[in-house]
Amino acid sequence: MSATPTIAFDAARCDGCGHCMNACVSAKSSDAHRAQPRIQILRDDESGRWGIAQCRQCGDPRCASVCPAAALEKGDDGIVAWDGERCVNCLICTAGCTFGGIAFSAAEGHVVKCDQCEGAPQCVAACTRGALRYVTTANLYNRWGDLEDLFVPGLGGCQGCNTELIMRHTLRRVGSNTVLATPPGCIPGMGSVGYNGMLGCKVPVFHPLLTNTASMLTGIRRQYKRKGRNVTALALAGDGGAGDVGFQSLSGAAERGEQILFICVDNEGYMNTGAQRSGSTTYGAWTATTPIGESARGKTQDAKNLPLLMMWHGCEYVATASTAFMEDFYAKLEAALDASQRGFAYLHLYSPCTSGWRFPSASNIEVARKAVETNFAVLWEYRRDQGLKLSRDIEDPAPVTEYLKLLGKFRHLDATQIAHIERHVAEQAQVLRELARMHPREGRQVVGHQSDLMAVDLDQ
Amino acid sequence: MNEVVEMTAPVAHAASGRIAPDHDAVVARKEPKILVCDANEAAAWGVVLSRPDMVAVYPITPQSSLAEYVAQFVADGVLDAELVEAEGEHSVLSVLHGAALAGARTYTASCGQGLAFMFEPYFRTPNLRLPIVMSIVNRDGITPQCVWGGQQDAMTVREVGWVQLFCETVQEVLDTIVMAYRIAEDRSVMLPVNVNHDGNYLSNGIVRIELPEQAEVDDFLGAPDVNWHAALDPKRPMGVDPLTGGATGPGPALFVGYRRGHCEGMQNALRVIVEVHEEWARRFGRRYAPLVEEYRLDDAEYALVTIGSMAGAAKDAVDAARERGEPVGLIRIKTLRPFPLDAMVAALDKVRAVGVVDRAVSYGWNSGPVHQETLAALQYCPHRVPCLSLIGGLAGADLTQAHFERAIAETARLLVSPCPREPVWLNAEDR
Repeated sequence: MSATPTIAFDAARCDGCGHCMNACVSAKSSDAHRAQPRIQILRDDESGRWGIAQCRQCGDPRCASVCPAAALEKGDDGIVAWDGERCVNCLICTAGCTFGGIAFSAAEGHVVKCDQCEGAPQCVAACTRGALRYVTTANLYNRWGDLEDLFVPGLGGCQGCNTELIMRHTLRRVGSNTVLATPPGCIPGMGSVGYNGMLGCKVPVFHPLLTNTASMLTGIRRQYKRKGRNVTALALAGDGGAGDVGFQSLSGAAERGEQILFICVDNEGYMNTGAQRSGSTTYGAWTATTPIGESARGKTQDAKNLPLLMMWHGCEYVATASTAFMEDFYAKLEAALDASQRGFAYLHLYSPCTSGWRFPSASNIEVARKAVETNFAVLWEYRRDQGLKLSRDIEDPAPVTEYLKLLGKFRHLDATQIAHIERHVAEQAQVLRELARMHPREGRQVVGHQSDLMAVDLDQ
Repeated sequence: MNEVVEMTAPVAHAASGRIAPDHDAVVARKEPKILVCDANEAAAWGVVLSRPDMVAVYPITPQSSLAEYVAQFVADGVLDAELVEAEGEHSVLSVLHGAALAGARTYTASCGQGLAFMFEPYFRTPNLRLPIVMSIVNRDGITPQCVWGGQQDAMTVREVGWVQLFCETVQEVLDTIVMAYRIAEDRSVMLPVNVNHDGNYLSNGIVRIELPEQAEVDDFLGAPDVNWHAALDPKRPMGVDPLTGGATGPGPALFVGYRRGHCEGMQNALRVIVEVHEEWARRFGRRYAPLVEEYRLDDAEYALVTIGSMAGAAKDAVDAARERGEPVGLIRIKTLRPFPLDAMVAALDKVRAVGVVDRAVSYGWNSGPVHQETLAALQYCPHRVPCLSLIGGLAGADLTQAHFERAIAETARLLVSPCPREPVWLNAEDR
C-alpha cells in the first residue's frame, strides 16, 4: 500500500480561531440541515494549548473493528468510510475511537466523521496559521502495517518500554521465514519465547545461553543454507548478551562473516534482573551495582562503544538507531536484513529503560529523542564498501544536560561528573565525525525532527 | 585404497607402503582398506564415514591433529560437511546446538581446558536431547600447567548427562565414533555421546587399522534423525526451551518430566549400546564388549578394574601373572554413562577382591572416580568384595606393565589383609 493522505495538526501553531470548524460546517451542510463540524478544536485547560478531535484515518481503525453492522471500512484510498445504508445507529464506534474522530450529530441523525472532502479538505484551506496541513503520512504504517505482527498480544514488558516496539516492528518486517534467538534478558523476559508451554511468538524462537547467541545462529543459518533454504537468522539481544558475556561469540561470528542479523537492544545495563551495571552503562549512571553512597557516585567508567567495535570487525553492515526515529530505523533494518544475506549485519538500538533509568513511562520517546539531539547517542551507519556515514547532522547539538536532567539515574551528578560526560560526548562525536569524513560519499541524510521524517507535504 | 593413502598424513604414507604395498591387489581381493595411523586420524576417518552435516572445531592439545585432519578432509572434499572454525570451545558446541536443532548430524572434539570452557553449553546438550557426537581426547586438568593425557576431564563431567564411552584401541576409536551416531540418534535414547580416547597413549600411538566401506557404513547408520523432537524450523515453528514455572503452575512437573525422561533415555541407552555393538560385530566383524569387558575373569580370584587404553598394558600384566600362576583377571569399563550396573555386578561377582586403577582423582573421596563407581556397584553384589583404589597415569605419566604388576600384587593382598583407605599412587616414585 502506498502512502495515504491525512491531516496533520501542529498544536504550537494553533490559536483556536475556529476557522477550520466553520469551513467544515459550510462544506458539509446542506439545505436540509446545518452540519456538525467533523473537526473540533478544543482547549486543554491545564496546558492552555489547543487540541484536535478529528478522524485520524487509522490504519487499523478501532471504530470499524467494533462496528457490529460493518458500516465503517477503511478503503484503499486510506479513508475510513461510513456507509449510511448499513449503520444501525448503535454509536459503539464513538466509544471505540480514542481520538474523538467520530461523533453523533443530532441535527443529521447519525454519526459523522471526516472524509477529507474528496482530497481537498476545507479545514486545511481555511487555516491561516499553518496549524493544519494535508500530508501523506504514516509511511511506515502504510508500507508495513499490513504485515503480520508475529508476537503474541500482551507481552509482559514494563509500561512504556520501547523494546517491545522494536521487537514487534522488527519481526513484522523480517517475516516468518526466520529463526529468532532471544538470549536471557528483557526480550525473553517479557515472554517472547513463552512461559509454561505458552508461546510468545509465531516464528521458531529460543533462548540461547546468554553467551552463545551468535554461535547458535551460526549453526542454524549454515545448516539451512546447506540444505538450500534461505532462513533468516535473527537475534534480538540485550547489551549484556551482545557486548559483555556474549561478546566472544558475537565477535567470532562477525569475524567469520556469518550471515546473521544481530540486533542489540541497548538499555545500558542488566535491566531485566533489577538494573545492574553492564559494560554499556554510561559514566556516572546509578545502577543497582553502581549505587550512590558516601564514597560512590555511580559508574566510574565510560561505556564501551559496542557498535564501533562491531564496525572494526568489518561487518557487512553496522548501524545505530533509535525508537524516536522510526523511519531511520526502518531504513536501517531494511539495509541490515539485506546485508545479512551476504554477511554479518549488526544493528544497535538505543532503548531507554523506564524503570531502570528512572523516568516516567510516558516520556520514553522524548528521552530517546533527546539522547540523539544532544549527541549522547549518535545515529550512523556503516557499509563495508562505503564506510561510515552519519545519519543525521551532529553539529550544534542540544546541551547534554537537557538529556541528563530527564533521567533519575543521573540525578546525583555533580559538576565534575557532568563535565566528564560533556567531554566524552563531544569526543565520541568527534571520532564519528572523523570516521565519516574519511568516507565522504553521498549519504542518505536524515535531518530534523521526527514529524519531518514522518510526513512530506503534498504540495511540495 | 589410493585415495585413502593420499588423504592421510605423511607418517601414514610411509607406513601404509610397508603394510600394503600392492594397493590394487588389496582392492581386488576385497580386503579391508588398511590405514596406519593414530587415534586422532582414526577418529577423523570415523567422522568421514559418519557423514555429519556440520563439524565445529577449536584446536587444543592433544586433540589438535584431529581438528586438522577433519579440516583437511573437508578441504579435500573427502568430507562433505560445513566446517565452522569457531573462536573457542564454548562456541563450538553452541554452533552444533543450532545446527542440530536445524536437523544436522554434528561432530566435534575437545578435551581438558577446552571441555571446561565448553561446560555451559555442554551441560545443556543432553537436556536439549541433542544427539551430538563428540570425541574427548582425554587430558589432565591444570594446575600445575599440563598438556598431557589423563581422564580428569571426562570424569569431572560424568554427572552432566552425556553417554560416555571409553576406547581401548585406535581401531575401537574409529568404530565407536560411527556406532556413537546410531546410539545417539536412537529415538529411545536421543542423547549426546562422548567417545573418549586417551590423550598421548591413543592420540599419538600409531598402529594398523582397518577402514570400513563407506557404503556399508551408510547402510549401518541410515539418514540423520536429529530434530524430530525439538526443532528450530520455520516449517515447524515452536518455542525451544521456554521458561518453566518454578514453584508454581506446571513448572515442577514439567521439569521433573525432563529429568525423568533423561534418566529413561540413559537406561534405554544400555540396551541400545549392546544392540549396536552386536550389529557392528555382525556387519564388520569386529566385536567389542559394549558395556563391561571381562578378561580372564571366569577363573579369577581377584581382578583389576580399568578404563580406556590402559587395559592394553594391564592385560599384558594379567597374562604375565597367569604365567606365574596368579589367579588374576581384568574388568574393563567401556560404558561409564549410563553406568552398566548389571554387567558390572555380574563381573564383580566372579571375584573376591578388586583393585581399581584410575587416571583421575576424586578429591573429596581420596580415591579415583572409577573406584567410587565400582564401590557403588558393589552395593548390589551378593557378597562383600574389598575394593582398592589405585591412581596412576596422571598428566601423561606412563602406566607400564610393571605398574600393573604392582597393582596386581596390591590387589592380591586384599585376600589376606584389610583394604587400605588410602589410594595407591602408582607413579609417585617415577621421576
